[in-house]
Amino acid sequence: MIAVGKRAREIAVVVATLILALYVLRVSAKNPGELSVLDRGILRLVSPAQKAMSYVARGITGVAGRYVELTGVRNENEALHRENRQLRAELMEMRRLAEESGRYQRLLGLRDATPAETIAARVIAVDASPYFRVARVEIDRGEGTVRRGMPVLTPEGVVGRINRPAGKTSDVLLLVDPRSALDIIVPRTGGRGILKGKAGENGYRCSIEYLARGEPVKEGDAVVTSGVGGAFPRNLAVGHVTRIIPGAVGLYQDVEVTPDVDFARLTDVLVVVAPPPAPDPDPGSHHTPGRGLAVIK
Amino acid sequence: MRSAATLLVAYLLLILQSTVLELAPVHMAVPSFGLLVVLHVGLSPKWTLSSSAVIAFATGYLFDLVSGAPQGVHAFVFTLMALFARALTRRVAVNGIVLGAATSFVASLLASFLIVVVRAQVAPEGGYGGLRQAPLEAVLTGIFGPLVLSLFRRLDGRVDTARSRVGLTRGPRGGGGTSLSMSMTDRR
Repeated sequence: MIAVGKRAREIAVVVATLILALYVLRVSAKNPGELSVLDRGILRLVSPAQKAMSYVARGITGVAGRYVELTGVRNENEALHRENRQLRAELMEMRRLAEESGRYQRLLGLRDATPAETIAARVIAVDASPYFRVARVEIDRGEGTVRRGMPVLTPEGVVGRINRPAGKTSDVLLLVDPRSALDIIVPRTGGRGILKGKAGENGYRCSIEYLARGEPVKEGDAVVTSGVGGAFPRNLAVGHVTRIIPGAVGLYQDVEVTPDVDFARLTDVLVVVAPPPAPDPDPGSHHTPGRGLAVIK
Repeated sequence: MRSAATLLVAYLLLILQSTVLELAPVHMAVPSFGLLVVLHVGLSPKWTLSSSAVIAFATGYLFDLVSGAPQGVHAFVFTLMALFARALTRRVAVNGIVLGAATSFVASLLASFLIVVVRAQVAPEGGYGGLRQAPLEAVLTGIFGPLVLSLFRRLDGRVDTARSRVGLTRGPRGGGGTSLSMSMTDRR
């Protein structure tokens, strides 16, 4: 009798857990961008650990990278080897500093050139699951200014948009996530379409939907933002056409796009916190983009 | 105590999973450490059915937060996977490296399939794509599986009470009352 009661209690807990999971799913499907107080609290605990782990991981990668570089010169004689190692280490450090400086300069250039208010953010985690292409960023300042749907950019192009803001950190839905949709233009043909992420590809890929067959694109064609919707500024680089899938029937072309942003190497990004100003009534005096802005003219 | 320790290690593994890409030469897939936690609680005779389901839910919920997935996707799938693991123990004694790796591999494939199906229900715009990633993720999970499962077995051993160390404890799968704790082979 006791055994039966215990068994029934076990099953009741399991069923309750499953129902709770389904309830959470339902709430999440209704309000995908909202986090509960509990979620925010958990994220506040998780984010510092993620940041610390990311810092350590980058450090280890740097050390490992240097080791790999140095093993190639082991066969040289000892004197040259020592000198070479020292010079290489210095050179690598200089390159690293130059690269970092260049990255920040490009980011500053992008910030100056973007016709909208932006804040900088640092990527602290990426792609924990291959089925959801999401990065987590920590903003520099202005906690609470980031909202769902705000565009996220790098000097190379569009990264995605804010999905779940939580205090100083936010989830960024990358362009390559299947839930992402972005209104784009192919400047060479003027064709417009919707850029969607391709889930679970062995690479970061997107496809264009609703691109009319009457405006045929070619491989290598640039793809930029259309500015429709007002969130993303116009003419920001998005990617390049890498494949036109033959045999598609219907009104629209089947086109694959490789984003200009290397999502595997994301480190620093800009979040557009205010939309660009209204179009200039005098079309003769355009805003001139600054250094580093990936704007296609 | 056991649950708290398991959740703490699960938390650390999930943090590792969300940042491990910095170290990985392939940036497309990582082993599913969260799933391995769930497999352990499902396979281990030291966990009751209900506690393994609750731990699986908590791990999945945490993973949803860490990974940016819609809340509930992994919580639901991981709970189902805990039940799958428990059902598996009725037929197979998952002992040793090969069986541990094979179970992790198969469970990862199954979990991937379930995640894609549940994702398609919650976020229909994502469709059913994405299963191309599943084999690589399953291979990585299979490689890390025996290691992580062994780590959790050791952890379980360390948090055992003095009574259970000498073999006197309430059997989690027994019908109540004090009984000798049994290994999986014994029960079979």
